[in-house]
Amino acid sequence: MSELLIRNACVIDPLRGINAETMDIAIRDGRIVEEVSAAAEVLDARGMLTLPGGIDSHTHICGTKVNFGRYMSPEDMRAGRTPRRGPMHATSGYSVPTTYGNSYRYSAMGYTTLLEGAMAPLEARHTHEEFTYTPLQDTMANTLFDGNWGIMEAIHDGDTKRVAAIIAWTLTAAKGFGVKLTNPGGTEAWQWGKNVSCIRDPVPYFEVTPAEIIRSIIEANELLRLPHSVHLHCNNLGTPGNYTCTLGSLGLVPDLNEKRQTLYATHVQFHAYGGSGWKDFCSKSEPIARFVNMRPQIVIDMGQVMFGRTTTMTADGPMEFNLYRLHHDKWSNHDVELETGSGIIPVLYRRKNLVNSIMWAIGLELALLTKSPWQCMLTTDNPNGAPFVRYPEIIALLMSKRYRDAEFARIHPDTGGRVPLPAIERELDWHEIAVMTRAGQARALGIQDLGKGYLGPGAEADVAIYPIRIDETDPSVDYQKVIEAFSRTEYTIKRGRVVSRRGECLVDGSNATFWVRAKVSDAYDMGKDPDFIEKFDRYYTVRMRNYPVQEAYLNRNRCIETEAAI
Amino acid sequence: MRVTLAMKPAERSFIPIEAEAIVPKNFLAGTDISVWRGNRELRLDEVFSVSVEGDADRPEDVEVVLSGDETFRLKRVGEYMDGGKIVVLGGIGMHCGNFMSGGTIEIHGNADGWLGREMAGGTILCRGDAADYCASGYRGGRKGMTGGTVEVFGRAGDFLAESLAGGTVIVHGGAGDMAGAEMHGGTLIVHGDCSRPAANMKAGSCYVYGTAHGMLPTFKKIGAVQHDGRTLIQFTGDIANRGKGNLFVKDYRYLD
Repeated sequence: MSELLIRNACVIDPLRGINAETMDIAIRDGRIVEEVSAAAEVLDARGMLTLPGGIDSHTHICGTKVNFGRYMSPEDMRAGRTPRRGPMHATSGYSVPTTYGNSYRYSAMGYTTLLEGAMAPLEARHTHEEFTYTPLQDTMANTLFDGNWGIMEAIHDGDTKRVAAIIAWTLTAAKGFGVKLTNPGGTEAWQWGKNVSCIRDPVPYFEVTPAEIIRSIIEANELLRLPHSVHLHCNNLGTPGNYTCTLGSLGLVPDLNEKRQTLYATHVQFHAYGGSGWKDFCSKSEPIARFVNMRPQIVIDMGQVMFGRTTTMTADGPMEFNLYRLHHDKWSNHDVELETGSGIIPVLYRRKNLVNSIMWAIGLELALLTKSPWQCMLTTDNPNGAPFVRYPEIIALLMSKRYRDAEFARIHPDTGGRVPLPAIERELDWHEIAVMTRAGQARALGIQDLGKGYLGPGAEADVAIYPIRIDETDPSVDYQKVIEAFSRTEYTIKRGRVVSRRGECLVDGSNATFWVRAKVSDAYDMGKDPDFIEKFDRYYTVRMRNYPVQEAYLNRNRCIETEAAI
Repeated sequence: MRVTLAMKPAERSFIPIEAEAIVPKNFLAGTDISVWRGNRELRLDEVFSVSVEGDADRPEDVEVVLSGDETFRLKRVGEYMDGGKIVVLGGIGMHCGNFMSGGTIEIHGNADGWLGREMAGGTILCRGDAADYCASGYRGGRKGMTGGTVEVFGRAGDFLAESLAGGTVIVHGGAGDMAGAEMHGGTLIVHGDCSRPAANMKAGSCYVYGTAHGMLPTFKKIGAVQHDGRTLIQFTGDIANRGKGNLFVKDYRYLD
């Protein structure tokens, strides 16, 4: 039995309605408890800001796509090398670091749970193997269903229950957590050398539209009672004027779930563009935020862009090809059989570039114009908008109008006429930041029942203690202090152990992976469905029995079982 | 100040020595410098007989002389060097003069791969041959050498001056395959033959005073020009990369 007592912590715990109360936190055997014995190890937090462990609800850290980003950018591996030190392995890389690099840097920032944003089911083993070597965070993977042949056929036949059945079988096989749609239909169209321009364009051969895919999969997701909602990367990413398409997609979403949103729209910054071309490119964050404010069934994440070098990677193959035609640098493109595809290119976001400057402003506007912090998560779509190590700067930008103005003065001079950012006075407070970086993410992912995202008895003992006193710091003025504090925790506690202290990782750690098994009736067990089996054997390059990821691939295996309604 | 480092013969002579600390600037503070052999850190005097004459207070006044039969085992000598002089009285190992921005390195023997990789300034003279990737960029990098001069009196290997972005590279002998690949600035001069010069070039000038074998078909012929008392044939390209570089060759042969 191991016991730990954190004394004098200044706690913000939004899920329990606690805002800046000084209290003690008792931990026994990796869980938070009411009290511990006198023999417990004591850790004095000295009034420092104490939050539940950080949760990143959309990041790309593990899997084939990330790894391809690593090996097509050896120059990235030269940026940010650290030697082996104590229990820490050597790391390298900046925008696509090694798995240990990701894990240590996230841990230093107080993050304890990560969701890999896009895992192709066929390549799930790779993702799970890399999870094992991301030792200081619990992990889960959104699984790609945007171009799944079986699902598109079922949608064409109007059979939502079959859609749900295929999702259930595939999630269990891939050991996935949630349903991800990346440019639904578009990546399949890309396999025909085409794309879909928005939600009403039919996908070649399958003759279903993205709108039908989105609506049907949302219904299927709720039939399966999955913890997380559908996680959508809208069609038409990154093109001027795409905000109408985004609004159209968000307009498809009914309110089907009491506990959480019905749709999680990711990296909305890339989907909030106005204008008819790059010449009159402008921000349309206002209509998007207004739309989200009126619909509690939608949660978005920022997808903030920060200036500097990074790598973009997504299952949205056609979009990456368009980016390649803009940049003329390296490009990689993958096709994943009956499921999806992907593309990767390195990019450099520059202050001197008007488009990049507008993108930078849009992300911040979305966070500031969305009234409820529970509806807008803080992300960069790591590493697409920027590597996650830039989060502290984003926090400071959201908390300080003065910092925003100082940064605004350094970007492209024409940005002012294209974005509403300079007129926005709002400064987020500590509580709102806590929501946007942990509590809101736990709720959006539906993992608060598993003890994530809060610090009450029964919760997992994932705690981040930041070296800052919020009663003495005015974030709108001392934004530099805010950046420093969020860059490096005093203590990061994972499963009841101090894993990181002032940026140094202290233990080797051991990751746990959450995945979902939706229990369906025998009639909807795709493993026994003759039609499904026949299609599988006919079109896949692997045998159906070799396809599912064995549980041996998961380090600590945390299966979430749900009772599906089919 | 003159620092003489005479390399002692070693038992296990096959293990290279990482000597990025051998830079003139570092000797201003004395000779308490360490180098690495594999994962073992060694004091300078465990590897060399060290002798120092005179003193200096700026790197420009420091001359480091490396001697011995096994100097080719030394890697990364002169990395990030910004002034002074290094003379190698023999061969030198890989990555000599990486990232250097000033000063002079003179090598009396042959240089192994990556000589003067990504250098920004200064001068490297190699009296023998240079191996592959002389004066080049590095894996994945977009910019290679950006300034300074590399002069090789012998031959150079493959990928000479790859990704050259500035500065001058002169090879008095021939060069291997893919000389000046991906170059987008600077000047490359090869006195002898080479093959497939300036592939994918975007800008800059490449001169081949011998024969360009396997000449790429994606260069457009302009005509004969006089250069330095020679008659050369001028090409522009690489059209495959929408390039506007200049390639001058004395003679060329396309692939069969």
